[in-house]
Amino acid sequence: MKIRIKLLAHYQQYLPPDCSSSSYEVEVPPDVRVEEVLAGLPVPSEESVVLVNGRTPQPGQTLREGDVLCLFPAIGGG
Amino acid sequence: MYGWNSRILRVNLTTGETRVEEVDPRVARDFIGGRGWAIRYLYDEMDPRVDPLAPENKLVFATGPLTATPVPTGNRYMVVTKSPLTGALSCSNSGGFFPTEMKRTGFDLFIFEGKAERPVYLWVNDDRVEIRPADHIWGRTVFETEDMLRAETDPRARVACIGPAGERRAPIAAIINEKHRAAARSGVGAVMGSKNLKAVVVRGTRRIPLAHPDELKALSDQVVEEVKQAVAAGKSTLRIYGTAYVPPVTNELGILPTYNFRTGVFAGAEAISGRALSQKYLIRAKACYGCPIACGRLTRVEDPIFGGEGEGPEYETIGALGSACGVDNLAAITKANYICNELGLDTISAGMTIACAMEMYELGLIPESDIGRPLRFGDAEAVVEMVRLAGLREGFGDLIAQGSYRLASHYGHPEFSMSAKKQEFPAYDPRGAKGMGLLYATSNIGASHMAGDTAYMEVFGVPKKVDPLSWEDKPRLVKYFEDIFTIVDAAGLCVFLSIRYLFEPTYNVEPVRISRLMEYATGAGYDEETLLKAGERVYNLERMFLVRAGFSRADDTLPPRMLYEPMPEGPAKGHVVELDRMLPEYYRLRGWDENGVPTAEKLAELGLL
Ligand code: SF4
Repeated sequence: MKIRIKLLAHYQQYLPPDCSSSSYEVEVPPDVRVEEVLAGLPVPSEESVVLVNGRTPQPGQTLREGDVLCLFPAIGGG
Repeated sequence: MYGWNSRILRVNLTTGETRVEEVDPRVARDFIGGRGWAIRYLYDEMDPRVDPLAPENKLVFATGPLTATPVPTGNRYMVVTKSPLTGALSCSNSGGFFPTEMKRTGFDLFIFEGKAERPVYLWVNDDRVEIRPADHIWGRTVFETEDMLRAETDPRARVACIGPAGERRAPIAAIINEKHRAAARSGVGAVMGSKNLKAVVVRGTRRIPLAHPDELKALSDQVVEEVKQAVAAGKSTLRIYGTAYVPPVTNELGILPTYNFRTGVFAGAEAISGRALSQKYLIRAKACYGCPIACGRLTRVEDPIFGGEGEGPEYETIGALGSACGVDNLAAITKANYICNELGLDTISAGMTIACAMEMYELGLIPESDIGRPLRFGDAEAVVEMVRLAGLREGFGDLIAQGSYRLASHYGHPEFSMSAKKQEFPAYDPRGAKGMGLLYATSNIGASHMAGDTAYMEVFGVPKKVDPLSWEDKPRLVKYFEDIFTIVDAAGLCVFLSIRYLFEPTYNVEPVRISRLMEYATGAGYDEETLLKAGERVYNLERMFLVRAGFSRADDTLPPRMLYEPMPEGPAKGHVVELDRMLPEYYRLRGWDENGVPTAEKLAELGLL
């Protein structure tokens, strides 16, 4: 199944070179857990805020077709 | 004493007299400094029911014990007074270089009383204090005032002043230092204007005495090193993009204020982001005194209509003058920001008030003949024009200059004002960040992110992410953040660095390093517990000021849109702020009665009886 990875703030440096927006599509196994996808990303996810479709994921949450997994660095400000 | 100068400069503008006073060491310790000292003096000396623009109101400029020390970001001052916007307290914070220079004159606080007969400015050059005529600069913009005053005092002097907005007593007028740094909120500029005080100019060369200078320097160096490493590793978002990195983040959570908070999702979020700002207009990052982060943005816009050069915009400015008004034109937002600085306006209240007027215009509640032009969401030119008119209080700008509550009430519909205690919301829709909802409703200064920004945890995951949509855990979080923000403000530090580096990253963000730094600076006996207690003490005394001014539970509320109109779309879809459920628990945790009044037991515990 396909999901989208969205990277914000300076994590956009980790976007694929041909990516013109802030997100890209990846193929993942059905019922994959959020943690499993994070482990395969080049982003320091332990210092990040992780959202699934804009919401806070539960521990062990699995993903569904079309979900947007968003990461940005955990830094306050504004 | 150490850390503090322990001296206050009292300036009576009516008589032209100035007086130097010593500070009682117990008051110094128990109320920390800055915002804490200011409320101690205001509470003791002033009737909280006075008209904010009358000579009886007092205006306090307050630095903290860590201001102008080697502690990184020791560059803050607070302006504390009774607010003409809210009728409650103003505690407006600014950094840059003015506060450090002020503290180095050898005074911690300036207290202004009365009203000058003619326009004046205060010139403090170390011990030499002069009230000088300002007729020749009255009417000038902030930029002109700063240049003229440095030329006629000392080129190394620092200036905090008002522009035309403050002179004309606009309830959303700011006090600006170094042309682009603002003690922006709650109409502090109008209070200065009401006293005929155009500017405060300082030049200070004194060193701040420290109790344990070596320990203070070692811990400060360690913090600076940590920040520098993050910057060098390309991990400091604030350095790379400034706070402007935030619009896509809050948009992802569905809480980026859009169309006067009708929704929290904005299609133009990327166009108004830090990335766009860096690509198009950034000259370089800029730091306040002693700050290794440098979140400030020096910018230039080349554009036939919106061209200019200055600093900003910050996230809050982008949310208010941009998405809230449906504007995705970053050049126009930046231009409107420059004009606010030049004329001395709060960008948040200005933008949010224009957004309110846009909604009411589109609904036919404000006739076009009153405005003199159409005022639709998304009209970038209109935003720039309205800001200019507001700064000068001309035409329809006179209503905008009074803030959204008075504007919406003028047309019979106060419910379109997205404000708490009449102060406009900052750029987080609280329906999708419930702690922010409780904070806006209860804050002593009206809606503000600077009063105890739970977005740190709800949005940014610092030090730990909590679910922004849950409300059950928020009363505790709000109380805690209000108290620790009070400590940071009173100490004279910037919250950006402090919350992340000076508190331990547990759920409670324990004040470990900041209490050590306070102790190294003052030697007054601070530890984590006494410092937290002091923060709570200051917060409660501020609350007592509000109680005496006539505020009660009925004022701890939010506009009906936040309480009854569910968010229409996005991740926060279907949510409102569960204020009724959070408020009693918050009062209980605070030790306040069901009307939001601190109980005698609580006041006794804090030594406030
Ligand atoms: S983080 Fe930004 S606002 Fe805070 S002191 Fe540094 S430059 Fe100034």
